[in-house]
Amino acid sequence: MITAERKPLAEIIDSIDGCRRIVLAGCNECVTVCAAGGRKEVAMLASALQMDFMKRGKTLEIHEMTLERQCDPEYVEQLAPFIDQVDAVVSMACGCGVQEVVRRFKSKRVYPAVNTKFMGASERPGVWAERCHGCGNCLLGLTGGICPIARCSKRLMNGPCGGSSKGHCEISNDVDCVWQLIWDRMKELGIEARYEDVIMAKDWSTERGGGPRKIVREDLQ
Amino acid sequence: MENFEPVIVAFCCHYCAYTAADMAGSMRLSYPANVKIVRVPCSGKVDSIHMMKALEKGADGVLVAGCLEGDCHFKSGNTKAAKRVTFVKKLLEEVGIESQRLAMVTMSAGMGTRFAQIAGEFTQAIRKLGPNPVCAGRGTCATAKVA
Amino acid sequence: MTEQSADAIKSVLIIGGGVGGIKAAMDLSEARKDVVLIDRAASIGGLMTQLDRTFPTNNCDLCTISPRLSAGARQQHIELLPLTQLSAVSGEPGNFTVTLTSTPRYIDLEKCTACGECHKKYPECVRFNPGLDHRAPTCMRYPQATPQAFSIDMAACKDVTGLVNCCPAKAIVPDDGEKQNIRKVGSIILSTGAELFDPGKLDHFGHGRYPNVVTGLEYERIMSASGPTLGELVRPSDGQQPKRVAWIQCAGSRGINREDVSYCSSVCCMYALKEAIVTKQRFKGDIETTIFYMDMRTFGKDYEAYYQRAKDDYGVRLVRCRPHSIIPAAPGQDLQIVYAKDNESGHTTETFDMVVLSTGFRPSAYTKQLAETLGIQLNPHQFAKTGSFEPVSTNRQGIYVCGVFESPKDIPETMVQASAAACMASKHLAKTNGSTEPEDDFPPERDVTGEAPRIGVFVCDCGQNIGGAINVNAVVEEAKKYPHVVMAEMTGHGCGKEALERIQRMVKEQNLNRVVVGACSPRTHEELFQQTIRRAGLNKYLVEIANIRDQNAWVHSGAPEMATAKAKQQIRMAVAAAAQSGPLRDHKLPMNKDVLVLGGGVAGMNAALELADKGFKVVLAERNGRLGGLAAVIRRNLEGDDVQAYVRQLAEKTKAHENIEVITNAIVVDHSGMPGKFTTGFQIGPRMYYRQIEHGATVLATGALAHRPNQYLLDRHKAVMTQLDLDNLLEDQPAQVNDWQSVVMIQCVGSRTETNPNCSRICCQAAVKNALRLLDLNSDMRIFVLYRDMRTYGFMEDAYIEARRRGVIFVRYSPDAPPTVEAAGNQVAIRFVDPVLGRPVEVTADRLALSTGFLADDETTEDLSTIFHLDRTTDGHFLEEHVKLKPVDMSVPGFFMAGTAHSPRNIRESITQAQAVAGRVQALLAQDTINLGATVARVDPEKCATCLACVRACPYNVPFINENRYSEIDPAKCHGCGICAAECPAKAIQLSRFEDQPILAKLEGLLERIA
Repeated sequence: MITAERKPLAEIIDSIDGCRRIVLAGCNECVTVCAAGGRKEVAMLASALQMDFMKRGKTLEIHEMTLERQCDPEYVEQLAPFIDQVDAVVSMACGCGVQEVVRRFKSKRVYPAVNTKFMGASERPGVWAERCHGCGNCLLGLTGGICPIARCSKRLMNGPCGGSSKGHCEISNDVDCVWQLIWDRMKELGIEARYEDVIMAKDWSTERGGGPRKIVREDLQ
Repeated sequence: MENFEPVIVAFCCHYCAYTAADMAGSMRLSYPANVKIVRVPCSGKVDSIHMMKALEKGADGVLVAGCLEGDCHFKSGNTKAAKRVTFVKKLLEEVGIESQRLAMVTMSAGMGTRFAQIAGEFTQAIRKLGPNPVCAGRGTCATAKVA
Repeated sequence: MTEQSADAIKSVLIIGGGVGGIKAAMDLSEARKDVVLIDRAASIGGLMTQLDRTFPTNNCDLCTISPRLSAGARQQHIELLPLTQLSAVSGEPGNFTVTLTSTPRYIDLEKCTACGECHKKYPECVRFNPGLDHRAPTCMRYPQATPQAFSIDMAACKDVTGLVNCCPAKAIVPDDGEKQNIRKVGSIILSTGAELFDPGKLDHFGHGRYPNVVTGLEYERIMSASGPTLGELVRPSDGQQPKRVAWIQCAGSRGINREDVSYCSSVCCMYALKEAIVTKQRFKGDIETTIFYMDMRTFGKDYEAYYQRAKDDYGVRLVRCRPHSIIPAAPGQDLQIVYAKDNESGHTTETFDMVVLSTGFRPSAYTKQLAETLGIQLNPHQFAKTGSFEPVSTNRQGIYVCGVFESPKDIPETMVQASAAACMASKHLAKTNGSTEPEDDFPPERDVTGEAPRIGVFVCDCGQNIGGAINVNAVVEEAKKYPHVVMAEMTGHGCGKEALERIQRMVKEQNLNRVVVGACSPRTHEELFQQTIRRAGLNKYLVEIANIRDQNAWVHSGAPEMATAKAKQQIRMAVAAAAQSGPLRDHKLPMNKDVLVLGGGVAGMNAALELADKGFKVVLAERNGRLGGLAAVIRRNLEGDDVQAYVRQLAEKTKAHENIEVITNAIVVDHSGMPGKFTTGFQIGPRMYYRQIEHGATVLATGALAHRPNQYLLDRHKAVMTQLDLDNLLEDQPAQVNDWQSVVMIQCVGSRTETNPNCSRICCQAAVKNALRLLDLNSDMRIFVLYRDMRTYGFMEDAYIEARRRGVIFVRYSPDAPPTVEAAGNQVAIRFVDPVLGRPVEVTADRLALSTGFLADDETTEDLSTIFHLDRTTDGHFLEEHVKLKPVDMSVPGFFMAGTAHSPRNIRESITQAQAVAGRVQALLAQDTINLGATVARVDPEKCATCLACVRACPYNVPFINENRYSEIDPAKCHGCGICAAECPAKAIQLSRFEDQPILAKLEGLLERIA
């Protein structure tokens, strides 16, 4: 899933300065799952904003709504009936969702309320960790199913650097050395020999190197 | 400020805190009438939103009262509630509301005395803090309905 | 008129409708047994209905008993026959034929509306106020009487025609006659209580001559909200509030003079303390309270703490002395008490403006005659005779006894005996098969969906309990303004029968679809109000209770304005929440009818055997390697019975019973589930193998420890031993005693101290028992008992008298100056201060016996309370659900307790509790299904993001993502904590009854900004 984290309150408040009415739009997909922008976080942020405005003797009308998915135009359309009544949309969706709202409502100010972070997984309740970088050319098949691009601090493609120590990365004891994980995994599978295979230089054009990317499925168009 | 009578919402779990509050009654222990109890089955049922909403609507203080640590009738509800309270306190600081306005307390069903004592101390602490700034900003103060 | 019922062998006859009789009837009906409950009086309730408040919780009795009474009348298994006596009995257990004679009421109950017109016409007609007003033709005993009707004393009525005509309902039947009923019953329970001693027979106290000398009960009536002064405390002579009130204990009890009885009435110390505390609570320093007493007998559970609070917190003055007489003080109606304290020379004269005589129980002529009719034996004091190990059984099989008719006792003990008697009585009944739903007689539910809320608000006054602190009228007026409120009114005792009927009527007349009650705690009264509106055709979850008593009036009595304002807010919150509530369904599961008993002592084995005899499968788990518990080391009780032989045969029977499985060396390690569906894990035996047991109910009989404090050279000098050691020595080496010249006993060693504050209850009887046995063996021996208060309650007082008669010297010591003990060769030297001589005395003794009592088994109760989530008292005993009404039930449903795990008690009292527990378990397991209630989490599939937060957060692993891709929560497994609802990031989960909407509505109701 795409993970995100709520922006500092001050930044959100700053962005809507002067607004009297806003739509606060959550998304029922990734940001709900990572507890950043679902119905509950929408309610929490709405309450916090409300308190801040009241504390300063101002009023803010907040229309809370959580869309099924903000990255699909049909769901974004659900905002239409309210859009003219508000000064701005504050979106708690990931960057994709924010931009879909922008694309649909061209003349409306739209502000993000979360920082979109990474593509990750739930490591344990309350902890999400980066797993995929979206490089466009998956090499998990070569690395025992564990990605060095997303999970090595240096994106090294052929074994650990000198900073690997007792399974940890030198940048922090909280970070696993991914090459240690890859080694352990290969050993488990009995394919240690493959560890020696050199992975050739990666073609980064499928990543951001080739410019903004797009997927087209003719059969579905 | 001396005449300020804060409004305090206490979310009390049915099995311990609410029973302790009843016990305080049976023991005829007096505590400030400022404390208004909302019964919940478990402190783990108290949503972060409820804590926020109570303050947003003008409560001057919010107590989340559950069973003693390790004694939750539902195993872990009180520890979850305590974590939520810590989280909401941080958000309150971001908003610029004193985080002391929100507190997690624990007690057993038999601790009527402790309930009354906490109710008294918390009311006193909030009285010292003064009215909830959410309302102070307007120059009007939140108050409980009914004069 | 003669009636004969065909299948009556399923029923029990209960004679006496006091709290004991009601409790027994309730227990039996809960267990689906039929009951015929008869009482001589016009309505049931007995003595308790006359009390203002009851110890140790000091709450109002009407409030605790009224729900019971209304419940009593409506239970489909209970047939209530007031004004009825037993006139003959024949047959045998399982098949008694009883003849019941009903005296005429002269009122047709079907027609009587209890409007009170006849009462108005004859204003002084309420017999309820004993001694303070006189009898009149019509009599209703108290405002919440069941049945709700008056009765007439036709003989005292001069204008019969006038009386008949004054009744608008034409309910008065002047030619009503005596009726006879012949019934077949399986067994009989006697719960006829006793009378209170009439102190008018004592010329030295002047009761009846001096208006300001009243009995304890009369004082209660003066304090009572439904009494003659409507709760104003005024003295009878001049209607003025008294300034100095004195209590004289043991009026007519523990005496040797004319009209005295020798036994102790067991309850007077506590009730005098209660009356003094209540007086102090209401009037603080305005009234001075003094209690004159001989021994302060606060031997019940936590009663010692109550006594200390009376002294230390409330400033009740206690004077140890038995005043000889009361003399009028000139001028006016003040009273003088002349008394001498044993540590002062000369006497003191004090003036009081009111004196309360703490009178105790006397067997009534009625019970003596009843015993004759039934052919049961009475003891020398004319109370029912029972056995040491069969505490509720009379000498005639199939006839049981409970309450004060057995021996003087308080409400909690009466309730325990009542449950025990109900358990024993049900043995003789034909098995009831199949079960009928208790809701069968309810009308169909009205569908209120789509209706705008129409809320009716009922605010209890509850006598002084609520009305004393809160201006109920102002609250009602305010409530009328709240949104959706159609009507609001004050109701006296909302839980009373009349008020409940009024609520039902209003629901129908005003077409209400929600009800709000301002009352006491929903913890105790929610079910009652739910059933009430259910009867009126509403779903039971459409009632909301505002707790304006326990959480308002009782805690804010000093600030009536704040209390009233808070009550308004509480009602407003309840109205707001009620408007958001909707009808809900209860969820049900099949009931597992097996029982787990923890603890293989006397209590555990008795509970197991009683249940096993009734056909329940029992697993008896004992932590140690053998059965018997603490009783296995006791040799004789006060009555001289062979305790060892009893325990041995009990253990044999337990082990041999086909329905009991005994597991020893078993330690509880985990537990889950709910009543009717528990799973408890054990580690068993030296190998600690793990085994899970499934059961429907749990009995805790885990006992207590024999205390052995490191005091007075115990275990350091061979002449020092505990009473338990002495008990064994007397059995095993009686010859040793021949050489002893003097023995000293010290009471309260390790009890009534700072670390173990409560009274161990059994030590005074143990000391007297051993002293008498010593004298039996060696009559020349000198025996000193150093005590603080001799607590030989009830008939045990006889043994205390006997010990004094035979020369045992009882010397009081003060905890400030306890005795000291020094070794003196093979002997020990004990020094103490004699309060009469006022000087130190030294005795060299061959033996020093320490009365060491009990210590709560803190380690065990702590472990078990953690595993089972049970509450404990501060000193480590288990806490009961309700001290008075449910003394063997625990706060966690499905758990019950018996024996010394509850509080210190002797073997006989432990057996009573065990039988009571068996009765309570039987009642619980009589249901075929478990009602899980309606508080369960529900998922809105539209909102669910399948994020798994609920799956991970649930403490019981109930939610799962189903094939339709949303989280599903099985209502049969949901425990209703609501943790998932609070964690769900999509707000897709709501907990029924505690949804966000009503909670937020409550906050809205409470708070508003003044713009």
